[in-house]
Amino acid sequence: MEAESEFKEYYAKNMRGISGWFNRAYTIERWLYAAHRITGILIVLFVLAHFYSTGWHPGLWWDALLGIIVTFHTANGIRLILAELGFAVGKPLLIKKPSQRPVSIEGVQRYVVVFALVLFVVLAAIWAYYALIVQPMMG
Amino acid sequence: MASEEAKEYVLPPEVLEETVKASEELWKPVRKIKFRIYKYNPRKDYAPHWEEHELEVSRGMTVLDALLIIKGETDHSLGIRYSCRMGLCGSCAMMINGKQMLACQTRVLEAAGSGDVVELRPLDNFPVERDLAADFTSFFEKHRAVKPWIIRNDEVELNNPTGPYKQTVDEYARYYQFTDCIKCGACLSACPTAATDYEYLGPQALAQAYRYIVDTRDDGLDVRIPIVDTEHGCWRCHFAASCSDVCPRGVDPAQGIQLLKKLLIKRKFGLKPHKPAEALPAKVKAEKEG
Amino acid sequence: MRESTIMFLHYVAAVLIMITGLIHLLANNDPVIGAAIKASPVLYLGNMAIFLAALLYHAFNGVRVILIEMVPDRCWTKWISWAILIVGIVTYAVGLQVLMVALGFA
Repeated sequence: MEAESEFKEYYAKNMRGISGWFNRAYTIERWLYAAHRITGILIVLFVLAHFYSTGWHPGLWWDALLGIIVTFHTANGIRLILAELGFAVGKPLLIKKPSQRPVSIEGVQRYVVVFALVLFVVLAAIWAYYALIVQPMMG
Repeated sequence: MASEEAKEYVLPPEVLEETVKASEELWKPVRKIKFRIYKYNPRKDYAPHWEEHELEVSRGMTVLDALLIIKGETDHSLGIRYSCRMGLCGSCAMMINGKQMLACQTRVLEAAGSGDVVELRPLDNFPVERDLAADFTSFFEKHRAVKPWIIRNDEVELNNPTGPYKQTVDEYARYYQFTDCIKCGACLSACPTAATDYEYLGPQALAQAYRYIVDTRDDGLDVRIPIVDTEHGCWRCHFAASCSDVCPRGVDPAQGIQLLKKLLIKRKFGLKPHKPAEALPAKVKAEKEG
Repeated sequence: MRESTIMFLHYVAAVLIMITGLIHLLANNDPVIGAAIKASPVLYLGNMAIFLAALLYHAFNGVRVILIEMVPDRCWTKWISWAILIVGIVTYAVGLQVLMVALGFA
């Protein structure tokens, strides 16, 4: 009986739950949001392992993957600090077009997103250079 | 004389013919579309089920038109909520092919795209009332919680008004955009935080809080800070910007929330957005002019 | 503490991590710059102490944010915050000791 009421409650509440974080229907900011959250959790797991056996890191190609995770979180984090402190979201409009698209997505934010993605690629490339070429030479 | 004036308003026959032709073109059935509609009554049903209806749709037909035809002709028990049919009341927001839209503003062919199925669900993250209608109780409670009215401390002036409050166009432009909100619930439904966090105030309430805080006539920043600056307040927004993406009125709640955060941080360092506007004393002004 | 204070420190910690973390990475991966940085072990220990503090604050606050979004109940929220704070302080104390040993101060 209790199971049945819970089953009913699940459909009556209609909450998406954690799968609602990863909805594909929206703009690129939603993808970046999901990726930021996942990379954040992965970095916490890595950091705990890095502390537990001091200085542990996964090695060669996995190091490059770690670089992708960390540099994405860094580059997107810079964008988020700018946006969440109200700097890259534009000003409220006085005059709207009939089908007005939001300024916070299609204004300065577009350039900030591109900047963050380019920064991510550059940083990841530098990290990969160190992980794959410099680190093996150091031994 | 009168007949001559009346004559001027009659359309020339060829224009009239063209207009009728265009309207016939607009309402001529062009394609058969399959509607998958979510059917669920939480008081009776064990689980939701889907019903399919096929309909010949025309170019001008909106999803709400199609739903009303289905309700009138095939399924009388269909539960929908609608009122104005022109995107002003915000009653008919629903998930159309997985995205929050107003049924009255979305054309069927636009929603279907190249496919021929239109899937209709009630708004995500809202309790289901019946079929396509969602329960907005908590949504309106959250809106009420941020005190969406002008708060002032000059009781004498409020009780015995001497004139209007001063406001320039620039000051008006700070909040005008957010006054367009029709409370359709699309933003809260699209929010990834609201997918798990039912206590989260939501983009609508936070944008409205910002709208009243930056209004120069308002003096309620310190009253609203304990409401919006909580564990389930504006800091649970991580700028996924889906709320702005789905807003049918171009309100851009995401921008409002980020600007609200900026304001809270500024307040932390002792800065207030504005001094509360003073009343333009009508008598004094009249005396000066006269 | 207000949520805005916590989240403002979250962003400040993020900026600190970018600076001190870069120094940490260069010290351990670049032979030339690394030798120059590790020439003064006290300064490097200071850098690592700041890095550890900022990183732990940022990481545990991030975990707390995710948890209170997943369990929005008011009662649970309070317990989550306290538990995370205690775990964070303990981790910082242990981490500092490990750092001292690893850098040869104890």
